[in-house]
Amino acid sequence: MYLLRLALASLANRRFTAFLTAFAIALSVCLLLAVERVRTEARASFASTISGTDLIVGARSGSVNLLLYSVFRIGNATNNIRWDSYEHYANDKRVKWAIPISLGDSHRGYRVMGTTTSYFEHYQYGRRQNLQLAQGRAFASDPFEVVLGAEVAEALHYKLGDPLVLAHGVAAVSLVKHDDKPFTVVGVLQRTGTPVDRTLHISLAGMEAIHIDWHNGIPARGAGKVSAEQARHMDLKPAAITAVMLGLNNKIATFSLQREINEYRNEPLLAILPGVALQELWSLMGTAEQALFVVSLFVVLTGLIGMLTAILTSLNERRREMAILRSVGARPWHIAGLLVLEALALAVAGILAGLGLLYLGIALAQGYVQANYGLFLPLAWPSAQEWNLLAIILGAALLMGSVPAWRAYRQSLADGLSIHL
Amino acid sequence: MSQALIELTDLGFAWPGQAPLLDIPALRLEPGESLFLKGPSGSGKTTLLGLLGGVQKPDRGHIRLLGQDLGELKLAARDRFRVDHTGYIFQQFNLLPFLSVRENVELPCRFSPIRARRASERHGSIDQAAATLLAHLGLNDPALLARRADSLSIGQQQRVAAARALIGQPELVIADEPTSALDADTREAFIRLLFTECRDAGASLLFVSHDQSLAPLFDRQLSLLELNRAARPASDLEA
Repeated sequence: MYLLRLALASLANRRFTAFLTAFAIALSVCLLLAVERVRTEARASFASTISGTDLIVGARSGSVNLLLYSVFRIGNATNNIRWDSYEHYANDKRVKWAIPISLGDSHRGYRVMGTTTSYFEHYQYGRRQNLQLAQGRAFASDPFEVVLGAEVAEALHYKLGDPLVLAHGVAAVSLVKHDDKPFTVVGVLQRTGTPVDRTLHISLAGMEAIHIDWHNGIPARGAGKVSAEQARHMDLKPAAITAVMLGLNNKIATFSLQREINEYRNEPLLAILPGVALQELWSLMGTAEQALFVVSLFVVLTGLIGMLTAILTSLNERRREMAILRSVGARPWHIAGLLVLEALALAVAGILAGLGLLYLGIALAQGYVQANYGLFLPLAWPSAQEWNLLAIILGAALLMGSVPAWRAYRQSLADGLSIHL
Repeated sequence: MSQALIELTDLGFAWPGQAPLLDIPALRLEPGESLFLKGPSGSGKTTLLGLLGGVQKPDRGHIRLLGQDLGELKLAARDRFRVDHTGYIFQQFNLLPFLSVRENVELPCRFSPIRARRASERHGSIDQAAATLLAHLGLNDPALLARRADSLSIGQQQRVAAARALIGQPELVIADEPTSALDADTREAFIRLLFTECRDAGASLLFVSHDQSLAPLFDRQLSLLELNRAARPASDLEA
């Protein structure tokens, strides 16, 4: 191991170049690992947007489309499903719970979702976590109560008891408002890092009430108008909803129930497995993430080439060092080994410093990233995948180190003991 | 006749594609002998030292070191043989600047188990051997041992190089213009120290230089120009 001592001493003698080289590697390693970690966590957090739900049922369209509007509040349903279809499956003995959801309205750019209290009871995200109220309570019997997602409350500065008016449709600037029937904030949910944070939740009755005097998509005028107070006393059972989330008693029944729903004779329905649809959706978005990963791989390659350049340029001015070593008995393979060790030492230093930078970065940015992007970056040991990446980097450094090693080997054979340069 | 330390017979060497550089019928160095080899630049001096160190192989003839024909050894074996039995001192910048004085002296012991063993047998330990040799050569300040080699004066550095050549008692010390960077006063003192230490260690000394004024100090002197039939006359070199 005396060679290692020599390699380190020689590097220390060129510490400024060595430092810069290792630093370049450190930055590239840090970037690669950061991308890898964000990528992994983004995928995990994406996959955990919804959990515990076995089937999502909507009008027949595409599975990604259904997932997008029912879970991510992106896009619109092409069609509704009838209330009796909902009841048919909600009362099926294989079904443990059913959450009806009704979409279509918005409030200052945030989507409004009509549902029932079973949503607060059964909807799960992440690692089977239920929704928690940060303040207040879930909506109750009064139709004009609203429970806000964490981001909605925070961004629009709502607190319990505040009144708010919903807008018809989901356009960012909505011209028609349900201003005759204002809602009251009764609860605010805890942050989940999922689209729930950006949703306003009202009861299905509330959803029905604000549209009760609407016909063919336009509000009633004059005598046809129904006031909020009048609406409270009317039958507010909806005729149709947008989608249903189902939890089953027995997971084994999932596929047979899915097939059954897809073949339902009374109405064209589509049932999807959320996990499968999430996978499908992620594979659509995966390209950007792959590109980012490839770019950061190339950055690492650049760092390693920088190291190769630094070692190669040092070779000529170190011919004397090599000749002295030869004269005290170092064999050509010792010289080659010295350079490989040097490359290895730089790479190891770079990797360690890169890890240090990564953990420092995560420690500093963890709170911010979670609050703003809903991504939890764990301050954990490198994963198996990350260890693999590091091993590959080390292997690449070794390979690169063998280039100057080979040159020095040839050079020291030719130069021998002569140091008259 | 006893076994010679170095025995060259009918040595011939040329670099590929060039005219013959060395053509030496015979050269002997006896154990314990000090030989002054006068060799101006261009006389094939460096190449001859390379051949003696086993870095190059002769085209023709034999080089025997301690009876071992270097031509019969493979490259790696020649390397090992060189460090086991030969210490080198060069013109200047002999030391690895980033190592301490002590580490520089101990370098041959790192690559040659034989020299490491001899050093510890004679002085108790390698560290002790280095310290003793340096003290004999006038570098007896313990603080100096830990200093970086390039913080020393040229004269001190050459003495460190001498200690390195002598550690572990190699049978042969080859000195290639070791005094050319020294001034006249220190030059002779350095050579006398070298003699004493070589004698103590029982080593032969092959001293190559173009400085004729040093020659009388040695047991014997030879001129490479006369010895080497392939060498160009000195008058050509000066032209």
